[in-house]
Amino acid sequence: MLDELIFIALPYFAIALAVVVTPYRYISNRLEWSTFSTQFIERKTLFWGSIPWHYGVVILLIGHLIGFLFPSTIQAILSNLSMLLTLESIALTLGLLALIGSFILLMRRALSNLESSIVDYILLFLIFFQAVTGVYIAVFNRWGMEWYLHTAVPWFYSLLTFSPNISYVSALPLVFKLHVIGAFLILAFLPFTKLVHVLFLPIGFVKDPPILYRWVKRGD
Amino acid sequence: MDVRAQLAMVFNLDKCLGCHTCSIACKNIWTDRKGAEYMWWNNVETKPGAGYPKFWEDQRKYRGGWVVKGDKIKLKAFGKLSTLLNIFFQPYMPKLDDYYHPWTYEYAKLYEGIEEEDQPVAEPISLITGKKMEINFGPNWDDDLGGSRLYAERDVNLEEREIIRDFGNIFMFYIPRICNHCLNPACVAACPQRAIYKRGEDGIVLVDQNTCRGWRFCITACPYKKVYYNWNTGKSEKCIFCYPRTETAQANACAHSCVGRIRYVGVILYDAEKVEQALKVKDEELVNAQREVILNPRDEDVVKSARKNGIPDSWIEYAVRSPVYTLVKEYALAFPLHPEYRTMPMTFYIPPLSPLIAIQSMLYDVDDDYLIINKFNKLRVPIRYLASLFSAGNEEIIVEALNKLMALRIYMRAKNIGENSGDVLKKVSLNEKDAEKLYRLFTLASYDERFAIPSAHREYLEERDAEERKGWRGIGVIRGLRGGI
Repeated sequence: MLDELIFIALPYFAIALAVVVTPYRYISNRLEWSTFSTQFIERKTLFWGSIPWHYGVVILLIGHLIGFLFPSTIQAILSNLSMLLTLESIALTLGLLALIGSFILLMRRALSNLESSIVDYILLFLIFFQAVTGVYIAVFNRWGMEWYLHTAVPWFYSLLTFSPNISYVSALPLVFKLHVIGAFLILAFLPFTKLVHVLFLPIGFVKDPPILYRWVKRGD
Repeated sequence: MDVRAQLAMVFNLDKCLGCHTCSIACKNIWTDRKGAEYMWWNNVETKPGAGYPKFWEDQRKYRGGWVVKGDKIKLKAFGKLSTLLNIFFQPYMPKLDDYYHPWTYEYAKLYEGIEEEDQPVAEPISLITGKKMEINFGPNWDDDLGGSRLYAERDVNLEEREIIRDFGNIFMFYIPRICNHCLNPACVAACPQRAIYKRGEDGIVLVDQNTCRGWRFCITACPYKKVYYNWNTGKSEKCIFCYPRTETAQANACAHSCVGRIRYVGVILYDAEKVEQALKVKDEELVNAQREVILNPRDEDVVKSARKNGIPDSWIEYAVRSPVYTLVKEYALAFPLHPEYRTMPMTFYIPPLSPLIAIQSMLYDVDDDYLIINKFNKLRVPIRYLASLFSAGNEEIIVEALNKLMALRIYMRAKNIGENSGDVLKKVSLNEKDAEKLYRLFTLASYDERFAIPSAHREYLEERDAEERKGWRGIGVIRGLRGGI
């Protein structure tokens, strides 16, 4: 029963929220759609928190996504043992960066003079929790890259095809379940909080001319 | 020729008395909000001095503006790749303390304090944290301190620092600053989200509050530090040139409230195709190159191209009577602030005149020749200092402008007391008609002469609700809880 809750109900609930609420918020109120950076008020500690956290987590998230999108290709790559070792070490390093970064960010919130709402704390605690479980898995449940492809990936495919099959993942240890709970809680919070800033990676400007004009008569 | 229209402003520094009325008018209308307490879209600073934020002109620290690299002009701080790599932390952005930590006083304590022998005190509290704080620096902290070792002496424009250590040499004047609404705005180019834009019709640069995500590259990129980060809304804000007023043909709040009547607002027509080329010239040639970009609205070809580009006839008419065109281009009296930042600013400054220094208690002879300035004359405000501010080091064009101002004074004084001023006007290539025109503009000019602002007639252009339209542009209002839910 608990497994169904974790691996079926929670993911569907979180995905539904993200899919429905995000566009609603985009259309109804974009004035609060921001990174809400606090660098302006406090920058010394932020440097040691923000940079390791973001560089760690962005690359790791892309890694998770690639494994999900191209499982067979990744499988082929990982069959080379030294390749698996290298990639695992890189991933662990990035995980530690994210762990240290999120810890510093959480402590910074608690100790500095920033104006904080409960949301700031919830998000920071969630990402810290996620980094802890992630690093724990990497250290104590080795070769996660390998077994991820045969457990989490097919399970998530089964979710997306609306034929949920939790037998892929239900036998996995508790810490993996916590990692999944954390991930979908973050996804559920995303549309309601400042986390939406991740949804707009500014890439378009790279090909734009430097100066942007808008003309009233052209309806810009 | 790609003719476009631009609203521009001229400040006559010869008349600015540093009263800060403009700043207060602006503050009351636009930045009297949470998160904007520290912002002064219009501020007046004492020169030489620290300025706002502190030492903003030091681009080795703040990395604002553009630089010429090979045959291209590029942002000084970040290229496109380094923009993406620095998106999680801004290394060169000024912090709150570089502006100042905004505060108020616990006035309620004066009424609620218990009865005791000592008078109750209203202690300063931070407007950001609400906690008690000590005030170490504030807006215009170095106001009038033109001889300060702590602030004025560290002014980056001051090449010879010793000059202000001698009491006899101390000088100061005021510079009111707003956003320059540049023709080549660095803030626009730096925004990865493309939230900042230049309005095609009048050239006003605005931050779209719906698109801004608070990446803060604009704040680093603007060399004048005139884009501000609102820590409450998490978005950037800047001077909006009072567009709700200018669109309805009223003067900007700062310009309207100016008690010294030092400000002029008007339309200029410029050639958008020439802008880039004019920014690639050597530093000393920048001002003249910028003047070349500004077009003569009486020229038939210019008018024809302007019409072809859809500039309304009313705007072309206003460009003809624009005081900005008169002062910047026709008489070459007004200069852009720090043209070497290569943003091509659209606010211009008439440099202040100052007395000649009496050297070693020797009084100078008052004759016409001596009163016409050359750069070796000992003016109290050094020509080099003015050139560093307004012409990227070109002293000649500053001297030219100062001479015109001086000749104008000699001519008008002589006229008033019935004397003959000789060929003083001719020396600076003015005639009597020019002198009368400038004299009127500097002294008697009415509201309509100082502010030639055509209506935008948006009522015909747009059907959208005005409140919605204005809510989206320039400033934003937080409706819910900051940071989410």
